Amino acid sequence: MNKPLRIALTKGRLEKDTVALFEKLGYDCTSVHEKGRKLILPICDGKIEVILAKAADVITYVEHGVCDMGVVGKDTIMEMQGKFFELVDLGFGRCRFALAGKKGDNFYDGYNVKTIATKYPNVSRAYFEGKGMDVEIVKIEGSVELAPLLELSDAIVDIVETGSTLKENGLEVYEEIAPISARLIVNTVSMKLRQNEIEELIEKIEKEI
Amino acid sequence: MKRYDLITPEGTRDLLLNDCTIRKNIENYLRGLFESAGYSELNTPCLEFYDVFNKETVYFPQETMYKLSDRKGRLMVLRPDCTVPIARVVATRLREAKLPIRLFYNQSVYTPSRTNAGKSDEIFQSGIELIGSASKKADLEVLTLAAEVLSHCDSDKFRLEIGDSGFFKVLIGKLTDDPEIKEKIRALIEAKNYPALNDFLDTFGSNSVISTLKQLPSLFGGEEVFDKVAKYYHDAETDKILSDLKWIYTELSKLGYEGKITVDLGIVNRADYYTGVIMKGYLQGYGDEVLSGGRYDKLISEFGYDVHATGFAVNVDAVAEILKRYNPVSENSSPDVLVFSEEDDAMDALIYVEKLRKEGKKVEFSLFDTYEETMDYAKENKISEIIRYRGEGNE
Repeated sequence: MNKPLRIALTKGRLEKDTVALFEKLGYDCTSVHEKGRKLILPICDGKIEVILAKAADVITYVEHGVCDMGVVGKDTIMEMQGKFFELVDLGFGRCRFALAGKKGDNFYDGYNVKTIATKYPNVSRAYFEGKGMDVEIVKIEGSVELAPLLELSDAIVDIVETGSTLKENGLEVYEEIAPISARLIVNTVSMKLRQNEIEELIEKIEKEI
Repeated sequence: MKRYDLITPEGTRDLLLNDCTIRKNIENYLRGLFESAGYSELNTPCLEFYDVFNKETVYFPQETMYKLSDRKGRLMVLRPDCTVPIARVVATRLREAKLPIRLFYNQSVYTPSRTNAGKSDEIFQSGIELIGSASKKADLEVLTLAAEVLSHCDSDKFRLEIGDSGFFKVLIGKLTDDPEIKEKIRALIEAKNYPALNDFLDTFGSNSVISTLKQLPSLFGGEEVFDKVAKYYHDAETDKILSDLKWIYTELSKLGYEGKITVDLGIVNRADYYTGVIMKGYLQGYGDEVLSGGRYDKLISEFGYDVHATGFAVNVDAVAEILKRYNPVSENSSPDVLVFSEEDDAMDALIYVEKLRKEGKKVEFSLFDTYEETMDYAKENKISEIIRYRGEGNE
């Protein structure tokens, strides 16, 4: 028998949404529901192996070809870049990248170089590069909303879903940067060496979404 | 304080023992193959002027090159590619040489990779360049050698993919002249990013060129690709490109690599000096291509000599990584003989060692003070014969 098709899922919400999608396709995903602490889980009679990983690691595994496919948010793809095929917009995990800051402030006022706090330094840099604007970028790991409130930064670049966290903290979206959703990515070599299996799976997925 | 005296820079590594042997074996195999096909070896310097890689059709973005400056403040790069310097050599020192010229190389290329991505910045490449022929015979020759290399590495699970860079160039030329838009579409096709590609192309309206571009990432596989693409945009130029490519594909099937040679019309490289038939080779177990190349008919004319050429490069480090995983080779074989002598007799013993070596034996000279230690060492290193050298009489 062939090696199972290995697919890396971003732990958490995207994992749940993907498993729900697989179940709609008729794949038995019991092992994922009862995973315990296991990280490699065979589904669909062992024809597919699910790997659970952090978003950035999904890209790393797929890029190196140790996983054939992966499900990961467009936000992580934009931040990490990398070489792989980005085949399907799965439609779930929808949100957007936005530039946000204190409500009522005009971000572009004044001549000082602006400071941006973000978990996504590459996305932020590329965005302002596109505008031909110099900014100072500060990488923050946790609640980015704190940075403008504590006056560490003039604004933040972050993922916004409903905007309620921003609102509760007296912040608002200044500009939308890019829409985000979950993507199905495929290793460039796997796509060629396992074309039939992968195309079959993608066809099924595309019918369902 | 010295912090960096015990480690190598990120993206580089030392290669010892087994790893070194495997790489040497692959290199030797490739050297033998290329020589037997009439290619001769050349070496170009590791350092080149920046200008060599900063030509019209040679697109190496700044951040993909290691740079330094020389004594006179001129900008230099560590070569990021082997073909461009060879184009320089051909256009200058080999200008008067009779065509065709067949060259091969075994040397490293350098490119800064993303930090912590587990990729090397120094990649050892071995490849060929066939210069001075526009004929399809040259394409076939190069592709046949490429297939032979891949099947030597893994006769079971390799894939050689062919395409033609001209097809995309004709299509995109019908859509726009703006290099930025061209590059954006190229990148989306390369990433087979259907959602973004469709969205972006929709902003140009709809016609047969656009619908073909949308399909381009999916036009890969076996012979059926040629039937599929026939339904889309075509004109005299694309018809010629596709019928030539199909001819090459059909001819290559005579090599007998059932289903292992495939077509991908969506190969659209960035280092875009390619002008015609292009190729990529894959081996199971390595997540990126291990071989790539193609026809580059305009590159050498960038250096002032208008001549056609084609070729490919093999990522020797990648091949070594796979071969190591699937067929572990034995460590260097141990010597046949270990020769021991007292210090006073050492010079005579070494002369004796030399004599044994000339007889074709693999001989190691014992540096231990006592015969007992020498015996232990021989046992540990699986050396079957020990010779105790004592002037005239040996045992």
